[in-house]
Amino acid sequence: MSKLSLSVGPQHPGSGHMRIILTLSGDYIIEAIPDPGYVHRGEEKLAEYRNYIQNIPHLERPVVLDATGAIFPYVLAVEDLMNIIVPERAQFIRVIMAELNRIISHLYYMAIYGIFMGHSTMFMWPVGDREVFIDLANTIAGQRVTYAFLVPGGVRNDMPEKVKEQADKACNYFEKRLIEYEHIFMNNPLFEKRTKGVGILPKQDAIRLGVVGPTLRASGIKSDVRKDDTYSIYNQLDFEIPVSNACDSWSRAWIHMEEMRQSMSIIKQCLKRIPTGPVKLNLKQIKVPPGESYSRVEAARGSLSYYLISDGGKVPYRVRIMTPSFRNLITIPYIMKGVMLADMPPTYWGIDYWPVEADR
Amino acid sequence: MSKIQTFSSFVKRLIIIIVGLLITLTLLFSLLAYFVPSVKELQDILLSSFGNPSLMLNYLDQKGLGLNSLFFKVVVFPGFTWAALIAAEIIWFERKFLAKMQMRVGPLYAGKIAGLLQPIADVIKLVFKEIIAPSSSDKWFFLSIPIIITSIAAALLAVLPVSEGWIIMRSDVSVLIIFALVGFVPIAVLLGGWASNSKYPFIGALRGLHQMIAFEIPMLISTLGVVLLTGTLDLVNIVYAQSNIWFILLMPIGAFVFFTCMIIELERIPFDLPEAESEIASGYLTEYTSMAFGNLQLGVYIRFYAMAGVFTTMFLGGWYGPQILPNGFEIANQVIWFTIKTLLVMILAIVLRGVNPRVRIDLLLRMGWSSLLILSFVNLFLVILILQTELSQIFGV
Amino acid sequence: MVFIIKLLSSIISGMNQVFKRRMTFRYPDQRLFIEGDGYKYDPKTGIGINGYRGRHILYLEKCTGCSLCVMMCQGISQAIEMKNLPNKQITVNKKSMFPQIDYSKCVYCGFCVDACPFEALFETNEYELVSYDRESLLFTPEQLAIPPKKRPEPTVNLKYGDSDVYHG
Repeated sequence: MSKLSLSVGPQHPGSGHMRIILTLSGDYIIEAIPDPGYVHRGEEKLAEYRNYIQNIPHLERPVVLDATGAIFPYVLAVEDLMNIIVPERAQFIRVIMAELNRIISHLYYMAIYGIFMGHSTMFMWPVGDREVFIDLANTIAGQRVTYAFLVPGGVRNDMPEKVKEQADKACNYFEKRLIEYEHIFMNNPLFEKRTKGVGILPKQDAIRLGVVGPTLRASGIKSDVRKDDTYSIYNQLDFEIPVSNACDSWSRAWIHMEEMRQSMSIIKQCLKRIPTGPVKLNLKQIKVPPGESYSRVEAARGSLSYYLISDGGKVPYRVRIMTPSFRNLITIPYIMKGVMLADMPPTYWGIDYWPVEADR
Repeated sequence: MSKIQTFSSFVKRLIIIIVGLLITLTLLFSLLAYFVPSVKELQDILLSSFGNPSLMLNYLDQKGLGLNSLFFKVVVFPGFTWAALIAAEIIWFERKFLAKMQMRVGPLYAGKIAGLLQPIADVIKLVFKEIIAPSSSDKWFFLSIPIIITSIAAALLAVLPVSEGWIIMRSDVSVLIIFALVGFVPIAVLLGGWASNSKYPFIGALRGLHQMIAFEIPMLISTLGVVLLTGTLDLVNIVYAQSNIWFILLMPIGAFVFFTCMIIELERIPFDLPEAESEIASGYLTEYTSMAFGNLQLGVYIRFYAMAGVFTTMFLGGWYGPQILPNGFEIANQVIWFTIKTLLVMILAIVLRGVNPRVRIDLLLRMGWSSLLILSFVNLFLVILILQTELSQIFGV
Repeated sequence: MVFIIKLLSSIISGMNQVFKRRMTFRYPDQRLFIEGDGYKYDPKTGIGINGYRGRHILYLEKCTGCSLCVMMCQGISQAIEMKNLPNKQITVNKKSMFPQIDYSKCVYCGFCVDACPFEALFETNEYELVSYDRESLLFTPEQLAIPPKKRPEPTVNLKYGDSDVYHG
């Protein structure tokens, strides 16, 4: 059959802020070349003109859904250079915020997955339930979406007393809702037929290409930064990592659902064990000695890492950000081979690719 | 835009305007002259009908516009106005029901109570926008496709029996008429996509054609079961044959196959591939704006009502139902039962829209040619079994 | 057969939602209730006090015109500038310079509140700041000193029912 070259471009309801150039033969995709770069704003260069506190609202904007996951490694790198130790209560609050952000980001993932399948009910239910968790984050941090809550030295303010009760109610409600999601979406026979066996990334390819996050765990490799390279207080908590051996799109969606359950159990454990005390060190000024440091964190989409070089001045010398979406971008030409055109948006969304984060 | 204005083009446009005016005025005056012979008669009629309205009805009967005439049947009752009202109400009901299932409120502000006038507000908004045809498309062809699709949908209404006397055209081959009209719609969709001269409408139109291949044969064979059992192709006789027992109890598999094929034919979710919004940006509807788009949507919903009416006639017993109105109102009783059953079928289709994602084209073709075809043949053998044994006497068919 | 059972269970799950309450609330008729007073900062301990970050409130008697809030915002969004008010004579503010905030640029991060050592700038929980043109979004120091309006009734909260969540 003759070949058709189609540009699923930035102005398309099924693509994000990027372009994928497809070569089709009939209805099957032979070649897919991604074309990112439409949202590049030069975040890493702009970070060299702001001091260490002014960088915080700036660096959490690319990863807008998972703001705590973007600032956590930066704060850990700065504290590593300054050689300070953060109080216990602040570390527990940081972990609570990080897990809340993971749930919020995964709910948005399920919503967009539904709309790419043409299932408008699955779009409305997760977005409505996300309001429950955004309200909880609002009670703790003061804003709904981008919080600017973590600073070098701790967190900015303390949690009020009613957070425990509100979090209990939210987790009870949401556990019942996850069962409903399974009935209407994950176990729906039409959804299973469309996604099982589609977009396969074999285990050897996943290791060779350097994939991170839920995409890696869906290919059968049990790897998570919270367990391999522990940071903060994760070694005191008790949770599991879901892994699946079928390397297709259905198992990627299933892993996101299971991770939400584990996050809720982590939040409940933290709220039981949280000690009293101050939440921030009273530093007179943020003075960072010269040196370099590297830190890595499991954000919602994978592992986010920062490489920070400081020369002792007010502003950092070099900030290098490595986001999980950029690492997973390499898989797009591999998983799209042999996929039909109708399955293209769900397949690229299945690897949780967020274009703004990849372009910075 | 930059046509050269010469004298000959001016004369040409003037002649077109004059001829157009003459034709329009002639038609209008002859229409008026047929119905109202003279001014004096018009005065008499209007004055007397204020005191005695039945005189007005008699006058209309004379002219062929009365309550039992073909004009009334086509335009008002089981014809276009009735179908358009039900289509508008189904659009409102669908939006509100889906909204309740999705934890939100649907239309709320148009109309005093709960957004009842929202479809009419949408139509008025569409009228005021501009009709655009892409410059590289085939303009007149492109703009005539919505009219073709809506006319086919309206023609399907002509054979639907709403109650015992109220049917626009009763003929011996109604079932064949329905299938001929139903088979023409995917070709019109293909022509609409081709005339737009752009990639995404083309892909959507090809998918519409694939869909037609999937559903047509199972639909025909499940209808064959009904036709074998009653022996006629006339829809009114099919309803008469269900006076003892409804056909959905005799052939449930056939009803299931026909219902599924009906949803595939109407291009509703979960089978709305020609118009898949998140993949191909509205499919064959991409380049249609303003009233062309409004016309297409009206055609879609009228076709929805017509096919649900056909399903009710063939499987759910037509207009039969217990007498809930006092004696003397039999025809109204039949109309009410027909409408209730059709609305129930439409509500079931709307519920299926709320809970399912979209299928892919190869899954659809596989389902149509393996599962649905086998089920319809099984249904056919069961019907033959019923006919050949004593069961047909027991059920009174 | 398994196909039909799974399809039926998804239909039942969808129909269950029809009988629960709606989650949305109707915005201009009902407004969301936010508890508390807004975000504040205690310069002695260096820790903020929990609250929602909305429009700022300026206490003119305490502001000394030190411009630390301006210096903090220079790297974030340059939304604060100092303005001279000649007819306000306050003992601690010799040059009569007060901050003005441009809300078309502010990102509501609250670092200016953290920077002020005299407890003169706090944030309230008023978030309805829409306007028809850009000039009226530039709040002068007198406009910032007005305390926030009380949110008009009726106000709703997120409430948890037995198996549904609604605003009431």
